[in-house]
Amino acid sequence: MLPVPLLAACDGPLSTLEPSGPAARDVAILWWAMLAGSTLITLMVGAMLVLAIRNKGGRASERHWIWGWGLGFTLSVLTVLVGFSLWLGERMLARADDALEVSAHAAQWEWRFIQPGPDGQPVATLDTLYVPAGTSFDVVITSEDVIHSFWVPQLGGKMDAIPGHVNRHRLRADAPGVYEGLCAEFCGIGHNFMRFTVIAYDPALPMPDMSEAMAPFADNQAEMLP
Amino acid sequence: MNWLWRALAGLILWAVLFSAVYGLHGAGCALGWRRVPVLFTDWHHLAMWLVWGVGLVLHVILLRTMPQGVPPGRSRWLIVAGAWIGLGSTLFTLFPVIATSTCL
Amino acid sequence: MTVTSPADPRAIAPSEPMVDALDIAANPPRRALALHRELDAVWRDEPGWRGFFTSVNHGTIGLRFMVTAFVFFAIGGVLAMLIRAQLATQQGAFLDLDLYNQIFTMHGTIMMFLFAIPMLEGLALWLLPKILGARDMAFPRLSALGYWCYFFGGSVIVLSLVFGVAPDDGWFMYTPLSDRTHSPGVNADVWLLGVTFVEISAIAAAIEITVTILRCRAGGMALTRMPLMGWYLLGTAVMMLVGFPPLILGSILLEVQRAFDWPFFEVARGGDPLLWQHLFWLFGHPEVYIIFLPAAGALSTIIPILSRTTILGYGAIVAAVAGLVFLSFGLWVHHMFTVGIPHMALAFFSAASALVAVPTAIQIFAWIGTMWMGQVQFRLPMLYIMGFFATFVMGGLTGVMLAMVPFNWQAHDTHFVVAHLHYVLIGGFVFPMLAAVSYWMPLICGRWRVRGLGEAAFWLILIGFHGTFFLMHLTGLLGMPRRIAIYPANPEWEWLNLISSIFGMVMAAGFALFAFDVVMQWLFGRRSWRNPWRAPTLDWAMPLPAPSYNFASLPGPRHSDATALLPLARGEGLLPGAPRGWRETLVVEPGSGKPDHVAVLAHSTLLPLQTSAAIGSFFAAMLSGFYWLAPVGILLTIWAGWKWGDIMGTDRDHPPAQVAPGLALPLHFQRRNTLARTGTLALLLADGTLYASLMFGVGFLTVVAPNWPAPESGIATLPNLLAALVALGAMALGLVASFRAETTRTTPMGATWAMVGLGTGVLALAALAVLAYGLDDPTRHARDALRGVVLGFAVFHGVVASLLALRSLADHRQGRVSAARVGASPIWQLFQLFWLGTSAASFILILAQEVLT
Repeated sequence: MLPVPLLAACDGPLSTLEPSGPAARDVAILWWAMLAGSTLITLMVGAMLVLAIRNKGGRASERHWIWGWGLGFTLSVLTVLVGFSLWLGERMLARADDALEVSAHAAQWEWRFIQPGPDGQPVATLDTLYVPAGTSFDVVITSEDVIHSFWVPQLGGKMDAIPGHVNRHRLRADAPGVYEGLCAEFCGIGHNFMRFTVIAYDPALPMPDMSEAMAPFADNQAEMLP
Repeated sequence: MNWLWRALAGLILWAVLFSAVYGLHGAGCALGWRRVPVLFTDWHHLAMWLVWGVGLVLHVILLRTMPQGVPPGRSRWLIVAGAWIGLGSTLFTLFPVIATSTCL
Repeated sequence: MTVTSPADPRAIAPSEPMVDALDIAANPPRRALALHRELDAVWRDEPGWRGFFTSVNHGTIGLRFMVTAFVFFAIGGVLAMLIRAQLATQQGAFLDLDLYNQIFTMHGTIMMFLFAIPMLEGLALWLLPKILGARDMAFPRLSALGYWCYFFGGSVIVLSLVFGVAPDDGWFMYTPLSDRTHSPGVNADVWLLGVTFVEISAIAAAIEITVTILRCRAGGMALTRMPLMGWYLLGTAVMMLVGFPPLILGSILLEVQRAFDWPFFEVARGGDPLLWQHLFWLFGHPEVYIIFLPAAGALSTIIPILSRTTILGYGAIVAAVAGLVFLSFGLWVHHMFTVGIPHMALAFFSAASALVAVPTAIQIFAWIGTMWMGQVQFRLPMLYIMGFFATFVMGGLTGVMLAMVPFNWQAHDTHFVVAHLHYVLIGGFVFPMLAAVSYWMPLICGRWRVRGLGEAAFWLILIGFHGTFFLMHLTGLLGMPRRIAIYPANPEWEWLNLISSIFGMVMAAGFALFAFDVVMQWLFGRRSWRNPWRAPTLDWAMPLPAPSYNFASLPGPRHSDATALLPLARGEGLLPGAPRGWRETLVVEPGSGKPDHVAVLAHSTLLPLQTSAAIGSFFAAMLSGFYWLAPVGILLTIWAGWKWGDIMGTDRDHPPAQVAPGLALPLHFQRRNTLARTGTLALLLADGTLYASLMFGVGFLTVVAPNWPAPESGIATLPNLLAALVALGAMALGLVASFRAETTRTTPMGATWAMVGLGTGVLALAALAVLAYGLDDPTRHARDALRGVVLGFAVFHGVVASLLALRSLADHRQGRVSAARVGASPIWQLFQLFWLGTSAASFILILAQEVLT
């Protein structure tokens, strides 16, 4: 009974459970699998506990409880899970191929993006990132001042923006649409409001009008692009 | 007390190997060892494989030598358990050196 | 040793054969009341207010730690309620953002540093001597010093909230947010200095716990037969010795950066904010297990007793604890999965984070198996244990989820993590602690609880907890990040937060009722009979409430469990009474538990309070920005430290103490391998970790930080090289002197060698001063700043080693050494060796830096 309203409650503009890209989808699959496994294990341990309490004295063997359940069972589950997760993780890495590159430069408390504009020239925008749908792109993430974190839950995991470091984060939006993003790492008094939007446009159609979000280039952002 | 050190030997070896391989990975990425080809692989992978491999051999040696001369009882049991835990930990936590991609 | 009690671990395979059938004859019985009066006169605190300030007794200090921790828990809980009130609605317009940032930072800081750690220290201090069969902890004055540092430091941290200058950068204080540029106020200094001041108590407690477990057990209690609580706390203490130094180092570096502009974490000048994260989490993850292990120890103690059986798998549990102690140091990067570390490195830590679930699972199944074996009695502690199972299992499972790299990338920094960490910490620490308090309350206050209140509190806490945090997992998966105060654009989070807030208030009511129940029990409970749980462990082998001296005579091979209550009270055990009018306890060999000597412990004294005030004056000067005043605090601390040595040692040889018929043991003055020496080794383990963390910092910045290599260095001059060689040579000569001062102590040469040691110490310090003068400007680049710290490390240890040389000289001058008494030399040798070793390593490091670049 419980899962039905919960499933309906999984929607939302920042929900990781309503994935719209391959990375987010892989994580969602991993989550549902782990949830199912954890529920089973919780119920099983609970049942064992109830049985153990009701059992009024008797023999218990280390072989059964400690080597069987504690070591054997746990280690088998974990081996499978770690293997599966590492395989998923490998699929999400930003490898050296010719994926589209955009830049996200975080500062207290705004996001400055550089992306290809209508004529192919880079365009700088504030708090809105334009990317083509259906294509993998790498976000090159840098920071101006303190540590921030770039996160678009419906597209994939987060990646920190750290002063002095250039991080590369691969994402893809399956379909055209508007995806909400936010700064996930606490960055001071304006942390609450450090939101941004990713607009995935249909590459077959003319590019959307970016003028509303347009901003001057930040001083050093272009240099940080590799 | 001597037996306690013997029981911890495997775990101490794990700690050393874990730090060494983690350090080698970081240093190798920073210093570009992946661009140095050696045999069928590169210097970065080779260094980590070597440490892992030698470490596993050392673990097996500990497994054989640590319990020697300790009379049966709980302390000997703990020595054997410690040696196995060390071996298992090194196998489990460092297997990514043959499974995942480096520096990405 | 003939009595096989129900919870005797020997009953379970792998069995421990009685190899050394150690037997010690029983003392003749005496009148218990007379013995009680004799001992209580020596061991009880002084009356009135003076007693409050001078007490060093582990019973008093341990309880005081726990009560103070609970007060801080209540303050942290009120802050949590403010957070929940703020988040209950989307707009939450009730706290302003700055105040909200202070409140969530303080909630985390208080719960971690002022509640959890001190609570476990208090439990360990209070319980260990009782359960191991000793009269006090190994270093009673250190207990008191730790308490006062905790009290003063904690008070400063909490008072900062009243003055509106509380830390507001989150409890893990990430730089650059916490640096001078982005946090110009005193807020961050309060955190760095306050927490470091409090951590003195953690290091003090860790040293004490280690030494007490290794050397202050009942005669004949081998390590392999020690109650499991001993193993758990030994693991905890060793983890604290190795886990806290990285945090202390990080705090020192960050405070030095804030105060003096040395750029350890500033990118533009060769620093790296990631170094802070590494140092913080190098502490921060072991910290979770430091908190969990004592709680698990309480479970392993209580579960078999309330199941009327013995623990299943004693050996496996000890092995699991050892595994946890080590593995938990290989997990810290899982807090940093999103900082851009390559996937293979993440994979090591992901696998280790998963693997650490195995020893935890082994314990869970051992506890369930134990319950299966026995007959579970549903007394109040058992209810809390059920609360533990209902909570911690889920927390562990979400922990495994978060260890998976891809899932972590999504869930990190969301309310999913908030839910997880509360499941682990409240499930894995608070529920077991509530079980422990309700279990040991009769021993604390001598009274039995009032019916009904405890159960009501339990259900309120359990329901309130799950109501607050269960759905919070979903809140996080729906994208709600941590540390936001309002969420006007996300109505879908509101119902979840509202539910959490309502149940949060229920939980708070439960904790209040728990506190009320404890007070009621203390005031109005009926008197409890002895050993009310029919437990076999030695903590119940004493009258209720526990007397100031614990045991009228100490447990030994013939009196090794709670059945010996009456013989021990009649003085049939070891070392009965206080015939010399001193506080005495038995010291044993670490492994076998064979009695070795008798330690004379400190009486009530104001010195710990004065010392903590002296240390506090240094911290106060730093906090208020009067940096020129800080050296006064250092001098005061040195003066106080000198006074500690003044009342150690003795100027005559004492006859051996009669421990039992046919067994006379020397007092510790006439032993070389004293508790103090073991304690020094423990301290140097922590010190060595601090140094290793510093070396890690050097290596990390050199390899990883941008803006390296550093600018041309000006230190490679001949005078500097000569000064360094003179310093090292003087330290080496000082090491020789420290050994010669001991071997020639019966001749006048002893004092001469101590003098030589002092002279070499001063010479080395002078040479280090020359080096300090020749350093590059430490504000120029992180490399130069780190060299400054490396030099400061050497100077600090030079001062300590020279003071010990001076102490040795005073020993010789004041006749405190003899053929049998060695005085302070063995301690001096250890510090001198450490000083020489770390300085030589630092010299080689800087030489290599200069040659290789």
